[in-house]
Amino acid sequence: MRVAPRAAAALLLWALLIPAGAIRAQDEIRLEDIEKEIARTVERPYSLGGFLEFQPTLFGLDRDAAFHRLRFLDEDEGAIAAQYDLGLRLEGAYRKGIFSLFARADALITQGDLDRVFRIDLLEGFASVKPTPGLALDVGKKVVKWGKGYAWNPVAFVDRPKNPEDPELALEGFYLLAAEAIRSFDGPLKTAAVTAVALPVAKDVNEKFGETDHLNFAAKVYALLFDTDLDVMVLTGGSRTTRFGVDFSRNILPNLEVHGEWALITDFEQAPVNERGQAKRRVDDVMSYLVGIRYLTERETTFIVEYYRNGTGFTGEQMEDFFRFVETSDATFLGTGNPTGIRRAVTLAEGAYGRPNPMRSYVYARASQKEPFDILFFTPALTTIVNVVDRSFVVIPEVTYSPRTNLEVRLRAVALVGERRTEHGEKQNDYRLELRVRYYF
Amino acid sequence: MRTIPVVAIAVLLAVSPAAALDGTEILKKVDANLQPESFESYRKLINVEPGGARREYLLWTLKKGDGKIASVFLEPASEKGRATLRLGDNMWLYIPGVGKPIRITSLQSVVGGVFNNADIMQLDYHVEYDVRTVEEQGAEYVLDLKAKTTTVAYDRLKMWVDRKTLLPTRIECYAATGLLIKTLYFKEPKAFDDGRLRPAILETDSPLYKGYRSYMVYARIKKRVVPDEVFTLDFLPRLETMR
Repeated sequence: MRVAPRAAAALLLWALLIPAGAIRAQDEIRLEDIEKEIARTVERPYSLGGFLEFQPTLFGLDRDAAFHRLRFLDEDEGAIAAQYDLGLRLEGAYRKGIFSLFARADALITQGDLDRVFRIDLLEGFASVKPTPGLALDVGKKVVKWGKGYAWNPVAFVDRPKNPEDPELALEGFYLLAAEAIRSFDGPLKTAAVTAVALPVAKDVNEKFGETDHLNFAAKVYALLFDTDLDVMVLTGGSRTTRFGVDFSRNILPNLEVHGEWALITDFEQAPVNERGQAKRRVDDVMSYLVGIRYLTERETTFIVEYYRNGTGFTGEQMEDFFRFVETSDATFLGTGNPTGIRRAVTLAEGAYGRPNPMRSYVYARASQKEPFDILFFTPALTTIVNVVDRSFVVIPEVTYSPRTNLEVRLRAVALVGERRTEHGEKQNDYRLELRVRYYF
Repeated sequence: MRTIPVVAIAVLLAVSPAAALDGTEILKKVDANLQPESFESYRKLINVEPGGARREYLLWTLKKGDGKIASVFLEPASEKGRATLRLGDNMWLYIPGVGKPIRITSLQSVVGGVFNNADIMQLDYHVEYDVRTVEEQGAEYVLDLKAKTTTVAYDRLKMWVDRKTLLPTRIECYAATGLLIKTLYFKEPKAFDDGRLRPAILETDSPLYKGYRSYMVYARIKKRVVPDEVFTLDFLPRLETMR
């Protein structure tokens, strides 16, 4: 079945060949028409929308890299692989009095040299009761969104981790019950808010959150104090070890914002392996933190810079030991056919060693320029993520352009650079090229 | 020989406060005539490109008192749910699905194009500006306004006000360098829900975007007072439920 590439090609043709002039309207503002149009929109108690997205990707594979060997073992997939993703997002909302419903779901078809996948995911789906603006109760699958960091959020105790290469992608929530109370004041303390979350983990319910058969509780207190956003949060309950966090955000100049997060994770268990694959279990309290800035220049260049200290990550030595273990296991497998070692390495790679940013220390930097050369709705950007420990890094140049309302085109390249036995040097790909065409409806 | 400076000082003391008071009073009346102190409104932002192509945004806004304003985009689909909050000099932007609201500045543009955040989340003029001088030019007052702080998007405004209706007809917006950033034209006075006559169309052009024009069209302005809790960061994702 080659539905995805055909549909994608049609979408691309439609997007790129129809000139903008075809939808031009007269430069005439008729108040009466606009009033009627607005009246139609504002009286609907429901909304339904989303986007259709086509994304072809070209992967430049690194056949000597550890993660390439762990994925493909003795198969040779060649130096280049193509993939075509066709995605549909649907979002719906309904409001009646103090009650409201919201749902967001994704359907994805992937075809290509490496994968063929069809998936439907409910990202969020919850009901809300809001008896007063200062009180709300949500029940269902929801993303809670804690933390102030752009690329990482060490204090997001009840969320899934972001992808720092694309932090603006929508996340999938967890099933939970959340209550929120807000109060406003005059004076230096302008706002105070309390959020309480109950999150059950059982077989088939939030299983990925942690250990099953526990009811977890999390809470956050927020204050807008002296023009500074402040949060204090806690998670406890058994599926994950108890953790505490604080974060802040403040504009120290009109065009300069500073933010930070700090998390204490108690009894964190880590089991790094030595070069023979033997694990040494360690339990300790660890700290993760993040500091960052967002700066806007007069020419409308936005800089985001963040430093992330990942207390749950591996040291350079521990990561090198893992890569040595992969090398010896792979050599044994190819030489003797004995898969024991490589199977264990694959399992390790599916866990802590294969997660995004598995090591201790990272810097994220992004520069984006709004509408250079007076080209409206055009934004070029350059992003890098540097592993400070092993000095490997990712570079992501990209351009985003919206040629007309509801149509967005993004072209980006992702280059992974690093020596052998470094995080990015041992990734499956050397580079990838992505085109994303998204039409909102 | 000392009489001249003494007289000059006496004249200045006598004239300046009165002129400043008049100007401030005029500006406060202009603010009151433009919009109620607390209200909700539906606005359409329209960008017209030199070739005639248009981009339209529908925005619902709540304002309370001098310093609280919150808005949410209802259209187009690509911007739907994008919400902004302003509490005095603090501004945040919430993008659905992305994460927590992020702090933004008044000069940034939420949607791209000619409108910036200060245009979308405009507080009363007298809150952000001091009146430096007032002149009478035919049927109009001309007010020279200076920003009270450096956080305000435009350092200086030149405002033409109809003496009879005390409504602005034109405002020129200048940067601290003296550069003209944009000119606003107030058009089509219309009786809104409270029976008051207010300009329904705000047209903008900018020498920085030659050939582009933008319009802010007010379809509804209604007095409404909501609790302060609506103007908070935690409430921003739920803002649309107040419609």
